[in-house]
Amino acid sequence: MNDLVPGAAVEGTVLYHGQNLYAGSVDPVEVRRRIGMVFQKPNPFPKSIYDNIAFGPRVLGLKDDLDGRVERALRSAALWDEIRDRLKDNALGLSGGQQQRLCIARALAVEPDVILMDEPASALDPISTTRIEDLMHELKDRYTIVIVTHNMQQAARVADRTAFFSVEVQDDGSRRNGILVEYDVTSKIFTNPSDQRTEDYVTGRFG
Amino acid sequence: MEMRISFHEELAQLEESLQVESQLVLRSIRGATECVVSQDVELADEVIAFDDEIDGSCTEVMQGVELLLARQTPVAGDLRLALSVLYSNLHLERMGDQCTTIAKLTKLAADLPPDQQLLDGFREMGERAEEMTRVAMLSLHNRDGALAESLMDLDELIDRANKRVVGRVLELGQTNLEWGIRMILVSRCFERIGDNAVDIGEQTSYLVTGDFREFTDASH
Repeated sequence: MNDLVPGAAVEGTVLYHGQNLYAGSVDPVEVRRRIGMVFQKPNPFPKSIYDNIAFGPRVLGLKDDLDGRVERALRSAALWDEIRDRLKDNALGLSGGQQQRLCIARALAVEPDVILMDEPASALDPISTTRIEDLMHELKDRYTIVIVTHNMQQAARVADRTAFFSVEVQDDGSRRNGILVEYDVTSKIFTNPSDQRTEDYVTGRFG
Repeated sequence: MEMRISFHEELAQLEESLQVESQLVLRSIRGATECVVSQDVELADEVIAFDDEIDGSCTEVMQGVELLLARQTPVAGDLRLALSVLYSNLHLERMGDQCTTIAKLTKLAADLPPDQQLLDGFREMGERAEEMTRVAMLSLHNRDGALAESLMDLDELIDRANKRVVGRVLELGQTNLEWGIRMILVSRCFERIGDNAVDIGEQTSYLVTGDFREFTDASH
């Protein structure tokens, strides 16, 4: 995605089981199978609920017991009981919160190791947000979840460990560098952070 | 850019209210000391009545912290400050209660023969209790962990004075027995005020370091 931003540059490595994800030899399809993604705005395919979930497994050739795989993914995403009789309906007819859980189920269907969630609840009402957060608590036993959130209370509620990222702007304004300010257990970040910039941010003293 | 300005003003206001409350407590300690040393029953009644003001202030601060926690969900340093204010507020309220108890004991002992040596000792204990309260509140205000820890040494002095009281009451014997027993309780109240001041010092330490800890173990 960064490649689409003019002037964006990435230095360093992102290691996944020792493999640099930015290396030229990496197969993007394999990366996407192991690292699922859920975005800010629910983005189901304009297909049936069933086909949304089955899409990934079909592409990857995981065709054995597809019905079972779809059901397991929907159960894991706490959606099965609500839509079990409507699997052939168009996914776009679901509510926003249901659509987002469908997207989580879609990510789970290919059994990844890691799920990246980019502001997964920011477009949802408070009750749907709570359901997503409850779901994260259930899923974290089986998956590594990385969530990006601008809602600090959400980070405090759902995360075991929290990283605070900020931006450093060069004096002449020519460059803006993203930086990792602090990374620690969540309880430490929200009671007694080590870095003054984290303290200032979480207490709202700068924004 | 400073954000959440009204929230931080509210928090600062609560801390200010706590400091004002401590001024009330200091007046109460002085009144309690004066009434017991002078065996002044009228002053004792004033000290007892005055405690309602301290309790009112305590309730206001408690409600303020409650509202702040409910509406602003403070974190990090703000959270520690809100909790320190909450706990220190309770310690101040307890100090006020100790003063009330001293005043009530003064009334109960008013018609009994006193002992000047013990009364002189109470003046000293009262002054120490005031001093410790001032040091505790200053340490909180200045975020001064070292000053807070200095309360341990001050507490040692008030503890020693308290221990001497029982010996003196035993020396007095039968003629002053009832008066002496009541004065052992007075002494205990001064000693407890000192303990409450140390507790506030521990809140300062928590506020500064983020670690909950008692300055001394239970054997002290």
